[in-house]
Amino acid sequence: MNLSNPASDPAVASSRSAATCEHCGLTIPPGELVADEIDGRRYAFCCQGCRMAYRIIKGAGLDRYYQRRERRTERVEAAHTSRFDDEYLQRFVQNGADGAELNLIMDGIRCASCVWLIEHLLGQTAGVQSARINFATHRALVRFDPQQTTPAEICARLTAVGYLPRPFSLDELQRSADLERSSLLLRFGTAVFFSLQLMGFSLALYAGYFQGMDATARSLLQFFAAAVATPVVFYSGWPFLRGAWYSLRNRLPNMDLLIALGVLSAYFYSLYALTTGQEIYFDTAAMIITLILAGRLFESGARRKAAAGVDRLLQLAPARATQVAADGTTAIVDSSQLKVGDLVRVQPGERFPTDGCVAAGATEVDEAAVSGEPLPVLREPGSQITSGTLNLTGSIDVRVTAPAAESFVARVAAMVEQAQSRHAPVQGLADRIATLFIPCVILIALGTFIYWSGQSDALMHAVTVLVVACPCALGLATPTAVMVATGRAAEAGVLFRGGDILEASAGIGKIAFDKTGTLTGGTPQVVEIAPHIGTSEELLALAATATAGSSHPLARGIKAEARRRGIEHPALPGGRTVPGRGVEQPSAAGMLLAGSHRFMSEHGISPEKNENVTKSEVYIARKKVYYGVLRLDDRLRDNAAAVIATLQRQAYATLLLTGDQPATAATVAGQLQIDEWQAELTPGQKALVIDQALARGEKVMMVGDGINDAPALSTATVGCALAGGTDIAVESADLVLVGADLGKLCFALDLARSSMRVIRQNLFWAFSYNLVAIPLAASGKLLPVYGAAAMAISSICVVSNSLRLRNIRENQEC
Amino acid sequence: MLKSILLLIFLSFCIGTGVWLFFLYAVKKGEFDDVEGPKYRMLDDDDDD
Repeated sequence: MNLSNPASDPAVASSRSAATCEHCGLTIPPGELVADEIDGRRYAFCCQGCRMAYRIIKGAGLDRYYQRRERRTERVEAAHTSRFDDEYLQRFVQNGADGAELNLIMDGIRCASCVWLIEHLLGQTAGVQSARINFATHRALVRFDPQQTTPAEICARLTAVGYLPRPFSLDELQRSADLERSSLLLRFGTAVFFSLQLMGFSLALYAGYFQGMDATARSLLQFFAAAVATPVVFYSGWPFLRGAWYSLRNRLPNMDLLIALGVLSAYFYSLYALTTGQEIYFDTAAMIITLILAGRLFESGARRKAAAGVDRLLQLAPARATQVAADGTTAIVDSSQLKVGDLVRVQPGERFPTDGCVAAGATEVDEAAVSGEPLPVLREPGSQITSGTLNLTGSIDVRVTAPAAESFVARVAAMVEQAQSRHAPVQGLADRIATLFIPCVILIALGTFIYWSGQSDALMHAVTVLVVACPCALGLATPTAVMVATGRAAEAGVLFRGGDILEASAGIGKIAFDKTGTLTGGTPQVVEIAPHIGTSEELLALAATATAGSSHPLARGIKAEARRRGIEHPALPGGRTVPGRGVEQPSAAGMLLAGSHRFMSEHGISPEKNENVTKSEVYIARKKVYYGVLRLDDRLRDNAAAVIATLQRQAYATLLLTGDQPATAATVAGQLQIDEWQAELTPGQKALVIDQALARGEKVMMVGDGINDAPALSTATVGCALAGGTDIAVESADLVLVGADLGKLCFALDLARSSMRVIRQNLFWAFSYNLVAIPLAASGKLLPVYGAAAMAISSICVVSNSLRLRNIRENQEC
Repeated sequence: MLKSILLLIFLSFCIGTGVWLFFLYAVKKGEFDDVEGPKYRMLDDDDDD
């Protein structure tokens, strides 16, 4: 069941029935048509659900609903267009290959139903390709076709249903969040203050009710009570009243409507009672609002915490940058205004505002925040700079290669955001129930009122039903858990691409690993030094000197080993690299050579060659004299064995998939105690192995370094990539371990399992709560004020239960 | 009797209103904007101004 198609009008309503569903107004997918004959006329529906809904509505004589629905959307178009002009909004639109994107902050989002409403409303607007809202940050990402619609139209649609959209920039977002929070705090504080006063009067009135009371004093206290209850209902309760009004106007029942119904019926009933000298229930109305506001305040705190991870990431890149103009003058500008090709000056101690490459100057850069690499890295003209890294030693000019919105930090932050706003499949269930729930509840409340109508407290019972039924806990169950879990994960450097990935990860039974770069470090390390002349240290020093000017991975391995052993190696000028062979480096003691066996032969040197060695060999010679050989190998990660052992203890099956020789695969599998291995696989074959396992009904996670494993990563139930720094492959994986730390895999799986447990607990709690509370309320056993307290408590329980996920620690063994 | 009750109610209302106004002032001044920060800021070394 769905909303009406906003683009339609009554005139075409009948003609469109051939292609669109009579009930929900959506286009009927080919082959899905459900036809039905009602009152001699043939109608088309997209599903059985819509057919039944149509029959029920028609059966109840409410078919006028369909006409009203169409009229509403017409009026909306005209009303708010002038408020947003395209020229201003256009500045916030990002044009991509397959459409334009607009980021909006949505004011007025209360619950999961609001998210559902906005997403579906936009989804049906012509020209909008997709709309996604982050419940945690209230941000909406709208993808649309600029040919068919404009940003102003999109904003107008949102205003029409009662949400206020604002184009997004970071400052704007923070201001909006702060404003909403302080407004909530003010409303809550005011509600608490007046409710406390009210409690005092009520206590006196209750005492008077039992002990007898002077009539003048009684009516005086009642007037005082009315005076203090009024600001609570109309100021503190304003967000609910406004939400209810919009929901009523759009005929889309939501939670606000329930709350407003409960509060207003109690309030006006009491006003009436005041004039006739009966008992008053102002305290009920005030307490409902106070308690729900308390829940909201709590919830907004949880949302802030979950969103903090993203904000921290974004704050790595500074918002202001020093731009260097063509004539050499500098100006401070917003980082968001930087364009590709702009020149930016970054002083020591500053972080880089966006990705770029060094244009002038040289400096050392601390990339720990991005890549986890603890040692500063030298950056010279031409080298790449990643946004968010820290400039340590020199002032440099950087040529911008990506606008701030597309920099590495922004991309990672966007991934986290996307993850937080993607719904787990379980959530779909909760959403559907929540929207069906409201009309049912109103019916039950009505039924309750009619059943008790003979008695004076009939209204009270009906009010209680309305209050306890508020599906807050239901709506919060999944999103809070997903939000807290993904926020916690991001903090630890584990990026889940969405709630569905969280769920899928929890059900994994088998984990397949790639070897190179995943179980091994991916960088060659010196494992053997075989000197022909002199000692190992002398040979290493010679090798390091020879390769000082080279950035080849083997050269880096040699230099890293020399550094580790504290061997000084002077950097000499005039080195020459022979691609694929080796390096020639002139020195005071003669020409140094470092390279392959073939390279040596070409220089007339013929060292002995061990044919059985599978490792990479670097031969070293000086002045045509052979000095020895260094053997390098891609060593296993330090924690690989611990990770595999932990996973096996948790009953995961493990599998090694590699393109290497069978002998190497067998050795690695043996060292790590991996259950199965397959060697000499092409990327396609890896995917095939995974596919076969999936066909057997296994849930497989593939862990890879993201480049040659790409097909396998996308085939697997969950593809997990290890990402260091600017690896773009992170975008293709479902789950990313930042800093290429394999140990985080255990943490990710722990977290996924815990989240699913928490979600199930939450849903169970929310459902059983409503199942128990509604019959109690309908039978008149529950006073409205207890209903309100119980409701707030159930929300707080659900949120607190989700917040427990923050406390999950990383496994120390991994 | 009624007079003293009236007086007491009025007094309590005044005190309460005073507290409420102070609360409003504090929120407007931004005292509640960052409730996490101060506990960490306290531990910062470089606050020698």
